[in-house]
Amino acid sequence: MRSYWFGDVVEGGCIPFEGNMDALVRRVLSLRTRTTMDDFVPLDWEDAVACGICRDREEYLSFLREVCFAATELEVREQYAGKDVELLQMVRTLDEMDELINRLSDRVTEWHQVRTLSFSRKYRRTPAHVLVKNIARSNKGALGRVAVHVEEFSTARTELAKEVSNRANRVLPNTSALIGGLVAARLMSNAGGLLPLSRMPASAIQVLGARTALFAHLRTHSPSPKHGIIFQHRRVHNAPREVRGKVARALAGKLAIASRLDYFRGVPVPEFLDKAQARIDLLGGGGGEE
Amino acid sequence: MIRIGDVLVSKGEGNVYGERMLGGARVWDPFRSKLAALYYTGTGVELLPEMRVLYLGAANGTTVSHVADYTEVVYAVEFAPRPMQDMLEVARRRRNIVPIMADAFRPELYAPLVEAVDLLYQDVAQPDQAAIAIRNSAFLRLGGHLILMLKTRSVDVRKLPVDVYRETVDALEAAGFTVQESVWLTPYHQDHAAIVCSKPGGSP
Repeated sequence: MRSYWFGDVVEGGCIPFEGNMDALVRRVLSLRTRTTMDDFVPLDWEDAVACGICRDREEYLSFLREVCFAATELEVREQYAGKDVELLQMVRTLDEMDELINRLSDRVTEWHQVRTLSFSRKYRRTPAHVLVKNIARSNKGALGRVAVHVEEFSTARTELAKEVSNRANRVLPNTSALIGGLVAARLMSNAGGLLPLSRMPASAIQVLGARTALFAHLRTHSPSPKHGIIFQHRRVHNAPREVRGKVARALAGKLAIASRLDYFRGVPVPEFLDKAQARIDLLGGGGGEE
Repeated sequence: MIRIGDVLVSKGEGNVYGERMLGGARVWDPFRSKLAALYYTGTGVELLPEMRVLYLGAANGTTVSHVADYTEVVYAVEFAPRPMQDMLEVARRRRNIVPIMADAFRPELYAPLVEAVDLLYQDVAQPDQAAIAIRNSAFLRLGGHLILMLKTRSVDVRKLPVDVYRETVDALEAAGFTVQESVWLTPYHQDHAAIVCSKPGGSP
């Protein structure tokens, strides 16, 4: 017996598959049991006619197309249903917005400076967003309008950052608990998704985002990077310089476990989190490894 | 193949991806499509109205739409969801494209859907491109043709493109294919070779 999408072809005949479109799609997806292509005989569309599935070639193709569309759409939907798919787009949008806002703020400030002779950033510690706000207020015309938009853009960015963080807490509960939602989401984005992140060894997670330094290290004799994205976490950047590498390594090790918990369980695991936090704090505070 | 002057075209509903139209036909740009580049740099395989084609690596459906203009039916296999979305849109508007979401390396997964074909076209960014072609040759009828667009840089960036090319040709010949033609697609595509083979036996 040879099974095809429309039915089973047997010695001297064909048994059509009975069922509606949903059942047909399920059949197409479940027929994927063959393991090799040895002694494979491609289907003959005329068998489908013998089966009574269709009357002619045109009907055969149109029916097959209908089934394939339904199956493909189902698969695309399933691929997108992963909870991390949208988070990935959100983080990447956030990072691109950051870059845009920084560049535009700088440019607007430069522009403002040539229009206002007395303006200088020396001896002042005005944060960039306040500066942009002032520029928006004190300039008419195009410059003022652009500055207003940069301001609005920053507001949208702040809101997006909150959403990213909230969603990361849901999608990556354990990783987020260790390192914060935003950084967890960035790690996931850099790895290319939750599945690839959960498959990474701790040493790779430790230097995620430090690609240039890592390859410079592999190629030349420059020292290896101690940390990539995980440096953004206070535990790493607040640690004394001598133990920073150690903290980063321990944190990465726990993150590797956390991401696997996130992928396979998807819920926070308190017994793991407590121990992991204690271990990382111990290194950050004391220094030596016991 | 249809040419207007020396411009390769295909006849079908236009505006699939913003392609230029020429005398009511769709211009098939060799810089965008490797198959079009093959028809500019070499001979290739004449696409005929009764042909059945298995197309591996359908991507966004750009080249697929041109192939479908010429042939009876195209079974378009693509693995990634994002380009598949675009491909579905193209396939919806053309009655002879059958979309299949699967990994071309595992033909057993779509074996119950695909009939015997006259042309196997392969354009996939995978390391073992010869093996993919050989596995899928089970769908190719005797006397049918294989067009393999060899992305040498996907096989191994450290190797010289010519070496990759030679290894691939050897593998195909060892598997029983007869290599008819092979051309590099420069200046249209860098480090890409087109290998045209036939499967011996049957009527040509």
